[in-house]
Parts: sequence; structure tokens; C-alpha cells
Amino acid sequence: MQMTAQEERLCGLLLQEHFGEVVEKVGTHLLRSGVLNLRALVHETKLPLDLVKKSVCVLVQQGMCSFSAGRRGPGAPVEYQICCEKVLHMLRYPHYIYTAKSLYGDTGELIVEEILQRGQMTMSNTVSTVADRLTHNMPEGQCMDYSEVVTAFSRLVETHFLQRSPSVTPAGSSTSGGADSNPPAVTQPIQAETHPDCYKLPYINISGKGKRRRSDDGDADQSTAKKAKTDNSEFGDEGIYWQVNFERFHLHFRDQAIVSAVVSKLDQTSSEIVRTMLRMSEVTTPANAAFTQALSANEIFRALPSTYNIARPILDQYLTLLVDDPMEFVGRTGDSGGGMFVVNLHRALANLARATLESVVQERFGSRSARIFRLLLRKRHLEQKQVEDFAMVPAKEAKDMLYTLLSENLVQLQEIPKTPDHAPSRTFYLYTVNQLPTARLLLQHCYKTVGNLIERRLYETKENKRLLEKSQRIEAILASLQATGAEAEQLTEVEEMITAPERQQLESLRHHINKLDSSENQVDETIFLIESYIKSTKSSR
Amino acid sequence: MTEVKVKKESTDPVDIENRIKELCQQFPHGITDQVIQNDMPHVEAQQRASAINRLLSVGQLDLLRSSNGLLYRLKDGQSASKVKGSDNQEKLVYQIIEDAGNKGIWSRDIRYKSNLPLTEINKILKNLESKKLIKAVKSVAASKKKVYMLYNLQPDRSVTGGAWYSDQDFESEFVEVLNQQCFKFLQSKAEAARDSKQSPMVQRNSSFATSHEVWKYICELGISKVDLSMEDIETILNTLIFDGKVEMTIIAAKEGTVGCVDGQMKLYRGVNPIIQPTGLVKTPCGLCPVFNDCHEGGEISPSNCVYMAEWLDF
Repeated sequence: MQMTAQEERLCGLLLQEHFGEVVEKVGTHLLRSGVLNLRALVHETKLPLDLVKKSVCVLVQQGMCSFSAGRRGPGAPVEYQICCEKVLHMLRYPHYIYTAKSLYGDTGELIVEEILQRGQMTMSNTVSTVADRLTHNMPEGQCMDYSEVVTAFSRLVETHFLQRSPSVTPAGSSTSGGADSNPPAVTQPIQAETHPDCYKLPYINISGKGKRRRSDDGDADQSTAKKAKTDNSEFGDEGIYWQVNFERFHLHFRDQAIVSAVVSKLDQTSSEIVRTMLRMSEVTTPANAAFTQALSANEIFRALPSTYNIARPILDQYLTLLVDDPMEFVGRTGDSGGGMFVVNLHRALANLARATLESVVQERFGSRSARIFRLLLRKRHLEQKQVEDFAMVPAKEAKDMLYTLLSENLVQLQEIPKTPDHAPSRTFYLYTVNQLPTARLLLQHCYKTVGNLIERRLYETKENKRLLEKSQRIEAILASLQATGAEAEQLTEVEEMITAPERQQLESLRHHINKLDSSENQVDETIFLIESYIKSTKSSR
Repeated sequence: MTEVKVKKESTDPVDIENRIKELCQQFPHGITDQVIQNDMPHVEAQQRASAINRLLSVGQLDLLRSSNGLLYRLKDGQSASKVKGSDNQEKLVYQIIEDAGNKGIWSRDIRYKSNLPLTEINKILKNLESKKLIKAVKSVAASKKKVYMLYNLQPDRSVTGGAWYSDQDFESEFVEVLNQQCFKFLQSKAEAARDSKQSPMVQRNSSFATSHEVWKYICELGISKVDLSMEDIETILNTLIFDGKVEMTIIAAKEGTVGCVDGQMKLYRGVNPIIQPTGLVKTPCGLCPVFNDCHEGGEISPSNCVYMAEWLDF
């Protein structure tokens, strides 16, 4: 799997932030070298064997590292490989968690958060952990019942947001001509989707309520914890692990992007119609399809949410307008059932990607450069003079802008010689924009930008390390004093150990970190749109 | 002693010329060489040619090219008198300039066509200019280039740049103002359509404006000192399309309806963008001019970036 320098850097930063330096070192070496076996990995990273083993374990658990039988034939050591894409998904974790929250409430949010953190979990484990966490935040005396968590979990599985982790089966055909009776201790992981029970909930015997974790009944906690451990093995879902189905979340994000584009361009009602169409074809449309399955106007009419009480002829008008719109969100594929309609997924993604490119040019270089950029996107190839005439920009400025865009590789120059000797005076020089390569370029920019934001955040934290540590110490002291019922005077005394300017510095630091954090998420939105577009072009060839 | 053959009829050169002139008067659209030959079959080709050349040089005959050969036409007296007193070379240059029509011709091109040396050309041009027979017009394409055309001709748009140029300067402000006005007109029309709360089809159709409507609106606004044609307005509307603010459809229309050109009408309407400014441009890196030079540990790095520092404190 080819990887660019920016992707490598970003993966390294993400691994370090989530798992620490050791895993980061192992991970980056694997990324760079492609495929390695354990011995080679130890040799390259110069780390002790057990640390390397643990790191690889972590990465496998998180689904980022896969292993396969050695290429040199059975009996060769197992080889490990990192999936760069999965590592980059870590950037999007906040978005996944937020989506789960918006769809299934706090319970859904915590379920997804827990599973993302641990990589893979059994259902029973998830349910008990989440119930405990929710109980902790509830007012005194209330508990979260397991059944509620089970319901939320089931719904996540039904809508395919969670899926069973692929189980690991022993390698099929064993060594031929092998006198050794021991089958190779190599196991082969399989794809999650191929498992027939991928979305089947196991029957688990789980009931109870979440336990509130108290700091004072540590002993009581331990005994119940021991009891809980023995209970776990009786739940009946041993060995059935669940993971987050990232592709499903991505489809959801894609649908959201399309719907919000329709809202911006047209109106709320049109977007509701498109949302309904997408919802109806959620499970029937294959992953990278160019358009959803055809839906008849009758079906759409029946499936509209009841809050949108529009008459049938009006629906037909909206559908016609959607089809006629230059953005071509919706297409008409037939006339039966009142008209068959599809959502043009690939076209929508291409439009969104194009709008993203135009937005970048506009913000970075100004409206007139954006005008020239859009002009070239539409007209494909133009000479210098034609650009000036169409864009109505004076010649000198147009030349300047075109050269700037050219130096940034957003615009390319195509030479068409009139004579075989390619003499410059007898050659056409045409400016052109190619959407796909430009999108790839922009994607690398995005990766670099996120890397920059993360590094700045680490720098800011490092610079203020002393202050942060002091603040944490003070808070710990305050917490313990409060727990032991200290007087107000003592508390204020401790609080004042942080001076006012230090407090201000801390506040400003917090503000900086938050800003950098939210910025990462914003850039990730751009990354998602462009990645989806690039992926869609690969399959439609 | 050989007998000199004497032709029966007179082949006096002047007679030939007069006869040609009479033929031209007979056929005001012009006569071909064939016609002259038919009329005077006894005249040899060489004599015919020299007669025609003489008539051309004194400016009484015009040489034209038609689809099937050369045509000779009688030049009207007035223009003939204009160049009287000028010598052949000047007449030749004048002819070339006249042929260039209202697009004008560059001095170097005159040189190619007439095969006269540069100094001669310049002298002649100065002469003709002083006689107010030709004038020089600065071309908008290359500001140093001067094209020559007849004095009383209106220069063609490609030379002066049309409505958007005044004295060789592109009127950017004027174009900007027109751009904004057209957009405001289309936008308000779209808003009015949206607020009317009618059925969606009616709403969309009423948000459209034909190029003719926009043209009328701009003319009535009176912000333009020069007369703008509907095509001029359409070029402005096209820039709005490239700004992503407007979209266009073409519909078939009956000939004769107002604003209809070749059975078609162009409709424009204001549109909204499909996305908000994208996440990347909300960060300083997205707009950074030295993005490519930045890396950790270098002189420009995220840790010491001044743009970041400013942005964070904002």
C-alpha cells in the first residue's frame, strides 16, 4: 500500500497520541517497510521483543494491523502489515461518537466510544461498562438498567453501525507433502462482511443494573468486581467480539453531506425528499455504487415522514425540479410507478469535491482567481486571451493570477504545437484544470495541515507543562480537601496558590487547545469529502 | 524585306483604355478579362494587360477578385480624384489600407503586401495622414501597435475592445459595478419568487429572468455612459456564472418574442452555493503563503508559526 510522506507523518502523530511512543515507533516502521515479520520488526525498531509484541497486539486489537502467512510459504514466520487508512480513521473518532450520540442518545455515544477505545469488545462487556458509566453520571439513587443499554446496542447492530469482528480461523489447506503432523500455527483473518452472522446478535443472559463507582467503598467495589468477573463468563457470548463498522458511518456522513448540499442549493422540502430516498435505499445499495437503486414516485410518497404533508402532484414537481437542477442530485431512470428516480451518488460527490476545490481557491487567492478557476473547470481548455475575455479581467491581472495558480499546481498548461518543431511562437498554450489530480493534491495539503495542527497543540502543551502540572496538583489537593470536609478558608488558600496571571495563561492555553482541536475536526470534514470523491472515481472506471 | 504585318484595326493603347472604360460603365458590377477579350478579340493579351495596368495606376479602375477570377470595375470619380496628385506608391498603400476595412492594418503588414521599403512606407503614411486620408488607431490587444485605417471609418470592436475599453484601458470598475447590479437584480427576483410561497415549479420559473429583462433593467438604471447591447450584458452574466452565483438555461422561444435570438432565449437566475467555505480554509495553514516551506524543525514550523499564534489569540 503506497503512502505519502504526509500520510506517514500524520499516522505517526496519531499513533503517538493514542497509544504512546513505543507503539508509534513500531507502527511507523511497519508503515514504512510495508510487510514485516516479528523478528525483522524487532531488529529495525531496536526495541525489546516483549514491547514489540505488546505493541503489535495493541495494533491488531484496534484492527489497524493485519497478519498473514509468510509469503515464503507455510512455515515462514507470520508477517504483519498496517492499514494506513485505519490509522487515519482515528482522526474521525469524535465524528463517529457524535453521530452515535445524535442517533441513539448518550447510551449510543458511550457504546461507540468504548468500542473505539478498546478496538473490540464483547456485547456483555460493553453493556456492563456503559451501564456503569451512565450510572455514575446519574443523580444519586438512580441506576441505568442493562436492558436499556442492550436495546441501544441492538439498534446499532441492526442498522449496521456495529459489526462482529472477523473471527480468526486456522489456515485451510495445510502443508502438502508435510510429514509433520503439526499444522502450522498460522491463522488467517477473514473479512468481517463475509461472516454470515455479521450482524446477528448473540443471545446473552445479561440482566442487572449499572454499578456506581464510589471512591470510598473501594473494598466493596473490589468484591463486587470479582463477582462481576465470574458473572461475565456466564453471559454466553464468549469469543464474539464487536467492532465499529467504519464504512457504515462513512455512508451516513456521505448522505448527510448530500442532504445538506440540497438544503443549501434548493430548500428544506427537497432535502427531505432526498433524505427519504437515501434512507429507503440504505441497506440495498452496495457500498461504492454510483447511484441508489431506483425508487418509484409512489414509494417515495408513501415513505415521506408524516410531518411533511405535501400533495402527490407537488411531490412530482419537487422531483422534477431535483432532476432538472444542474447539480443533478437526482436522476430519472424510468416512467413506471409514477416515475423511477435515483440519487446520483457519484455525481453528488464530484460536485461536492469541485465546490471544495473552488472554495479553497476563492479563500486563498481571491474571487477573481476563483472566477478563472471555475471558468477553466467549465470550459476545459482555454488560451490566455480567451481566459481574459470570458472572465472580464484585465490582461495583466489575468496573467498574474494564472501564473500564481500554475505555480501552485492548481492549473496546468497544455502545449499543442502547430508545427513539428514545437516553436513557441507557433504553439497553442492552453490552460486547463483536472479535477482529480487537483483533488489529490488538496488531500495531501489537508493531511499536512492536520499534522501541523497536532504538532502545534503538542508544542503548546509542552511549553506550558510546568504550569499544567502545577494546576493538576492544586486540583488534586482541592479535591481531597473537599472530600475530607475542609473549611472554606483552607480551600481558598489552596486556590490562591495559582496566581491570577497564571490563571489567565491557563485559560488562554485551554482556549488554544480547544481551537486547535476543533480545527482538526473541520479539516477532517474536507478530508472526508475529497477521500470519498477519489474513492468514487476509482470504482467507476 | 519582310512585310510588317499591320493590324487592320487600330490598336491604339488609348483606344483600348477607353473601350475598357466603356465596358465598365456598361457593366457596373465589374467585368472580367474574358469580357474584354470577347469585345476586342484582336487585342493581344499583353496589350490588354498594359492597358488595364495603366488604368489601375491612374486610379480609374478598381481590381477585385471574385470567385471565378479577376474583376475590373470603374472607380467612381470622387475617390479617383482623392488620390490624384499622389504617386503610385501612395495609391498602392492607400489601396491596401482601404482593403483592410475597419479592422485596420499594421504598418509591417502594409510592407509585406506592397513590398516597399520601410522608410518609404513611413514617409507615405505620414503623407497620407497629413492629408487626412488615413488615421492611426491604437490597438487594445498590443498597446504599442498602431493600426491604420481610412479616416472616416469607425474602428472595429476587436481593435478598440468594445464597450469595456475606454482609451485602451480596461474598465474594471465599470465591469464590477455591472456585475454587482446584475446579481442584485437576479437575487431579488429569486427572493421574491421564494417568498411568494407558490408551488415549487412556479417558484422556480418566476425566479428566472431573460437576458433581455436584465438588459432593460441595466439600461433603465442608467449607470452606463455607453450603449450596451444585449450581448454585452450576456458577457457580464457569464462572469456571474463563473462566480458560481448564477445559473443559466436556454429555452426555445418563438421568433419575434422580445429578446429572442435565433429561436432561443437565455434565462438566468441567482443560486446559492452548495457548501459553506470548507474546513481547510478555516485554518491558517489553508491560506498560508509559505505552506510548502513549513516543516517541524525548520525555520518555518508549526511551533513557531506567527500566523498560528495570531489566529489562536483571536
